[in-house]
Amino acid sequence: MSNQKKRNFQIEAFKHRVVVDPKYADKTWKVLEHAIHEIYNHNASGLSFEELYRNAYNMVLHKFGEKLYSGLVSTMTSHLKEISKSIEAAQGESFLEELNRKWNDHNKALQMIRDILMYMDRTYIPSNHKTPVHELGLNLWRDNIIHSSKIQSRLLNTLLELVHRERTGEVIDRGLMRNIIKMLMDLGSAVYQEDFEKHFLEVSAEFYKVESQKFIECCDCGEYLKKAEKRLNEEIERVTHYLDAKSEIKITSVVEKEMIANHMPRLVHMENSGLVNMLLDDKYEDLGRMYNLFRRVPNGLLTIREVMTSHLRETGKQLVTDPERLKDPVEFVQRLLDEKDKYDSIINKAFSNDKTFQNALTNSFEYFINLNARSPEFISLFVDDKLRKGLKGVSEEDVEIILDKVMMLFRYLQEKDVFEKYYKQHLAKRLLSGKTVSDDAERSLIVKLKTECGYQFTSKLEGMFTDMKTSQDTMQGFYASHPELGEGPTLVVQVLTTGSWPTQPSSTCNLPSEMSALCEKFRSYYLGTHTGRRLSWQTNMGNADMKATFGKGQKHELNVSTYQMCVLMLFNNAERLSYKEIEQATEIPAPELKRCLQSMACVKGKNVLRKEPMSKDIGEEDAFFVNDKFSSKFYKVKIGTVVAQKESEPEKQETRQRVEEDRKPQIEAALVRIMKSRRVLDHNNLISEVTKQLQQRFLPNPTEIKKRIESLIERDFLERDNVDRKLYRYLA
Amino acid sequence: MRKEDTVKLISAEGFEFVISKEAAMVSQTIRNMLTSPGSFAEAQHGEVTFPEISTTILEKICQYFHWSLQYASCHMTAIAKF
Repeated sequence: MSNQKKRNFQIEAFKHRVVVDPKYADKTWKVLEHAIHEIYNHNASGLSFEELYRNAYNMVLHKFGEKLYSGLVSTMTSHLKEISKSIEAAQGESFLEELNRKWNDHNKALQMIRDILMYMDRTYIPSNHKTPVHELGLNLWRDNIIHSSKIQSRLLNTLLELVHRERTGEVIDRGLMRNIIKMLMDLGSAVYQEDFEKHFLEVSAEFYKVESQKFIECCDCGEYLKKAEKRLNEEIERVTHYLDAKSEIKITSVVEKEMIANHMPRLVHMENSGLVNMLLDDKYEDLGRMYNLFRRVPNGLLTIREVMTSHLRETGKQLVTDPERLKDPVEFVQRLLDEKDKYDSIINKAFSNDKTFQNALTNSFEYFINLNARSPEFISLFVDDKLRKGLKGVSEEDVEIILDKVMMLFRYLQEKDVFEKYYKQHLAKRLLSGKTVSDDAERSLIVKLKTECGYQFTSKLEGMFTDMKTSQDTMQGFYASHPELGEGPTLVVQVLTTGSWPTQPSSTCNLPSEMSALCEKFRSYYLGTHTGRRLSWQTNMGNADMKATFGKGQKHELNVSTYQMCVLMLFNNAERLSYKEIEQATEIPAPELKRCLQSMACVKGKNVLRKEPMSKDIGEEDAFFVNDKFSSKFYKVKIGTVVAQKESEPEKQETRQRVEEDRKPQIEAALVRIMKSRRVLDHNNLISEVTKQLQQRFLPNPTEIKKRIESLIERDFLERDNVDRKLYRYLA
Repeated sequence: MRKEDTVKLISAEGFEFVISKEAAMVSQTIRNMLTSPGSFAEAQHGEVTFPEISTTILEKICQYFHWSLQYASCHMTAIAKF
């Protein structure tokens, strides 16, 4: 395109009817003012939208926007003042209805006005930074109606009155409430909060303060919580029905504070119905309710947890130190398991498996189980009882469940090495007397212990099982190679590896000649196949089955210990034997001999021997005869089975001592390990490191550790630093 | 088309253009006129008079409405020149 064309291009101004009439603006405004009046008087039908729109458009176009706008403001204001009077005049009930009706009218009118004045809304208002029509209408309503002195407080009081009536059980017009509240919300959140919500919360707080005081005087804990829950749900429902959703959190925290937080200690410790009673009576529903309500307030759950923990520790401590309970270890452990089950189910059902509560439970159990130093022994006895007879006929899954529960208790023990010692003893007795109910159950428990504590813990136990198996094979081999022995007494030998089995010093015992010959044959057979080994007979751990015929011809099969067998065999060659004679012949040590004679002569139903005199105790001068009048309804009679019992005092001391002895090398090993890697370490850190390493097995005593350190220093494993006496150095 | 779906636009000279409501509502102003809550005359009779708009202009406006409707839904496909 050339420049010339550009020059000739002209745009004509749009030809519009230009008004020169000075009163034009007034005339136009009059039309609009009239229209607004008609709209407010519900007389708008018949008005021409187009005409009004055009008039407003023209006013703005001809720069009379200011006049239009201010005219609008004053017209609306005067209408609103009239409306305000009519609302004030409304009596009683109809006050809110009138307000609601007028509000709806106003909104409708406002929309119509805005539609007509759309052009001004879009052009004049933004460029002159005025409030848009709709917002203007709301603001004018707010200023002239809501904040009018006569209406403001009356509105608030009416609303609060209605809420109060609903709280006391009356039914109110919720639709009307919703509309009024919505009106306040539409006017802006500042209006809603200042003119309603703030006061609503204050009044509610007052109301609930009074109500909670009333309830707590007359209700017990469970009832009170029910009421509190009900009120809380009511408030939430109230919000959904006719309040702003944002108010929910505010009103619920008011209720929580007044009804729950302020009365928490009193509720929890209430006599006869507080938390402790609920725990004792397994009141799952009440406990669940308490959990849900307290969860909402700060420190709520903490309070529950603390009370539960202290109660549990108290109960546990009583359980564990009650002398009555201590008489029966199996019962003792069963009670512990029952207590654990009870609380597990409470935490599960009422506290929704909350981890912090589980931890509190674990801590409490750890605390009181270890208050009784005999807990490891008792747990082992419990397992022993179960494996001997308790698990007979129980399904495999149930067996697993019981063993898992026992493992849980085991975890709480601090002195796991004590448990190991007892368990070994009891296991040995079970294996040797062949009294275990289920091999699978035994092995299952070993596996669980291995998972828990590592290979070291269970290696010896597994060794014991291996020995039993190997012995079976050895016996088969022995009889296979000596077929001529099939006629005589049957010998069953268990060959035990010394390291794996609990050591017991064996005492002297003269076996009857038939037996000793057989034993020698076995010894030579065994040493023939296994060179370089030494066999020593543990006569204190064996048993024997003997066939006996008594005076009247009654035959019985007797199951006796080895010692008892030796004593009885003597009576094959003698009618009467004195205590001294028996002692000489058998060379069994006195206390053992007395015990075995007692069980054969003084126990009803097992008195295969007769003693003169018939006293309970064995005296040096007593004489013994075979009891020809012996009778029993059973063919097989068991005498003197070696059952695992809880230890007597001296035995207990002895075991404890052995445990302490065993701990010394373990502490030393840990010390050396730590020092070897650290090279230099100070006293306190060393103690804490050692404790940490050993805590899986037991809790070492710091004084003991100190002694071990001294011992290591003497043996030149460690040395003290010359300058800092608290520092230790490793000597390679 | 049924009567309820149409609206009559009347020009300054008195020409009546009967078009569908949907087309007329392309204009926000006409939309407000017809849907405003008050019972304005326009909505009641279904007629809108434009005393200041000439017939030729009004005709063009109606054409614009229909053109706008036609291409309201599709995005970039060939839009005819208006």
